[in-house]
Amino acid sequence: MEIVWFATFAVLLAGYFALEGFDIGLGVLLPVLGRSPAARDRLVGAMAPFVLANEVWLIALAGVLFGAFPALEGPVLSGLYPLVSVVLLAWIVRDAGLWFRRRAGGARWRLLWDGAVCAGSAGLALGWGAVLTAVARGLPASPLDPLGLAGGVALLALLAWHGRTFAAWRLDGARGGSLLLSACAAALPAALVVAGAAGRMLGDAAPDQTLTVLGVMVVPFVPFLVGAQVWVWRTFSKGALPTFF
Amino acid sequence: MDVVDLARLQFAVTGNLHFLFVVLTLGLAPLVAIMHTRLAISGNLLYERMTRFWGQIYVINYALGIFTGLVMEFQFGLNWSGLTSYAGDVFGTPLALETLLAFFLESTFLGLWIFGWHRLPRGLHVACIWLVTLTAYASALFIMVANSFLQNPVGSAEEGGRLVLRDFGALFTNPTLVFALPHVLSAGLWAGGFVVMGASAYHLYRRTAEREFFTRSLRIGVLTAFIGSLFTVGFGYAQFGPVSDVQPDKFHGAVPGLALGLMITIGQFVQFGVMFVLAPLLIRDLLARWRWLHPLLMLMTPLPFVAAIAGWLTREVGRQPWLVYGKLSVADALTPGLTPAAITASFAAFAGVLGLLAVVDWALIIRAVRRGPGEVALGAPDHSADHSPAPAHSF
Repeated sequence: MEIVWFATFAVLLAGYFALEGFDIGLGVLLPVLGRSPAARDRLVGAMAPFVLANEVWLIALAGVLFGAFPALEGPVLSGLYPLVSVVLLAWIVRDAGLWFRRRAGGARWRLLWDGAVCAGSAGLALGWGAVLTAVARGLPASPLDPLGLAGGVALLALLAWHGRTFAAWRLDGARGGSLLLSACAAALPAALVVAGAAGRMLGDAAPDQTLTVLGVMVVPFVPFLVGAQVWVWRTFSKGALPTFF
Repeated sequence: MDVVDLARLQFAVTGNLHFLFVVLTLGLAPLVAIMHTRLAISGNLLYERMTRFWGQIYVINYALGIFTGLVMEFQFGLNWSGLTSYAGDVFGTPLALETLLAFFLESTFLGLWIFGWHRLPRGLHVACIWLVTLTAYASALFIMVANSFLQNPVGSAEEGGRLVLRDFGALFTNPTLVFALPHVLSAGLWAGGFVVMGASAYHLYRRTAEREFFTRSLRIGVLTAFIGSLFTVGFGYAQFGPVSDVQPDKFHGAVPGLALGLMITIGQFVQFGVMFVLAPLLIRDLLARWRWLHPLLMLMTPLPFVAAIAGWLTREVGRQPWLVYGKLSVADALTPGLTPAAITASFAAFAGVLGLLAVVDWALIIRAVRRGPGEVALGAPDHSADHSPAPAHSF
């Protein structure tokens, strides 16, 4: 059972970066690719219908960490206390930007929340880069050293590229091949880190009784989880852009 | 304040903020789903306007439920790692199921519903909001299972200094769950009904052009509040028996005692008011026509939210000093080595950001209510994916 839940964890983490990675990257590039308010609306409209379905991979990941690897949850999260706090705050600020930017009129209101989308996305990318670097190094006491920062900047660049290929695919009719490539690249660092932590995770999984209960409950719903995600992609990959976010 | 107090205060602030938004989500979701269903069956344009207007209130409110919920989920690992290391093998199971089964689907279907206007076939679009409602209720079930385990740790046994899962089914028949879950869900209906009632009263009082829209909405709001308040109060009193069995001293402290008194006062008076005054006045739409009553309806709108917070204070403060009742104290669950500087900074950051966003969100809900059904962004026409007339000089 440990193997199954480790694989679930790895798939959720890699999937989070492959999917939510382009939302984060596009948010970082919002002022670069969208110089005018109309251009920013277009970019946000491209990613908007995917965001809710993408970010939830991380929420599910945290749930799996809690349910299947409880002995690791506390040490990993509290061991990276400042970084995890920054990632969380950046996530909230990015989401607030998306939810609020069109909820009131006025150019300044929109500019403020577009700024929140960009700053929050940048914080998410930098924070996640530093988190992955820290986990790869075995949770050093001060993860925000030059190496951690370099990891943050590297992930920021990677996700920005991923966001750009998504925008080119959704808005300018570019082929899906480069989007698939950038998605794999965005997931790669996280996949490598989690592969490196495999031994530790398998040793620290919850007892079989807990894992079996989780498996029995979750497996019947896997077709629904996958189906819902596929439905999102089939619905929003083409055509006009929704205007709610 | 020491580290434990600050960590507790942080959990209390984020938890209460979370529930203020979640309780409305739970109440409005089924109402919006029913409106959308009536639209699909009748094709009546009034129901489209109702679905979009109340749906937009629901969706704006939903945002803060997510933000506060994120902090709740990660706070366990950040501040309370003693809980996961002691009880994670049991307590983590319902939380994992909530995120993987309930919220994963809820968030995905909500995205399909929000952005699916003009795109999804009407029947499937309606199915999305029903699935959102169903998964929201499933979320409430799993979270209440987890909370009830903390109140009364059934289905588990201590082995080698930590709890192991013995009987998963016992988590779902926990006496601290079976009446508390319908109590919470009914309170959601009550809160949703009162928001619909108060917003309708505002438009009727202002004599806006939307008389029919808000006369019907007022009826929906009062009837929902009638059902919600009846079951909230019923399942509230029903909890005294099981609670006195497992936590006999629960209401003896000053805070839980006062909070319980406040909740019962609000609950009993307002429930009688809805049952004996507001609901009968729906006959011949007297309530919609008696304009002098409308300011009172607006003033009553926050009451179920106040009662809900008082209820949680009773439930949570009343089990102190235990995090897992009788097994693990709050102080022992604190993350080892948590410094005052770290917890102060994180409390200031999370409470500050979430508090600010909550105020912004309430202001946006009020703004959406005042603008009325004539200016609703939810379900507005899509925008062409081609470059706009004034293209960005980028790429």
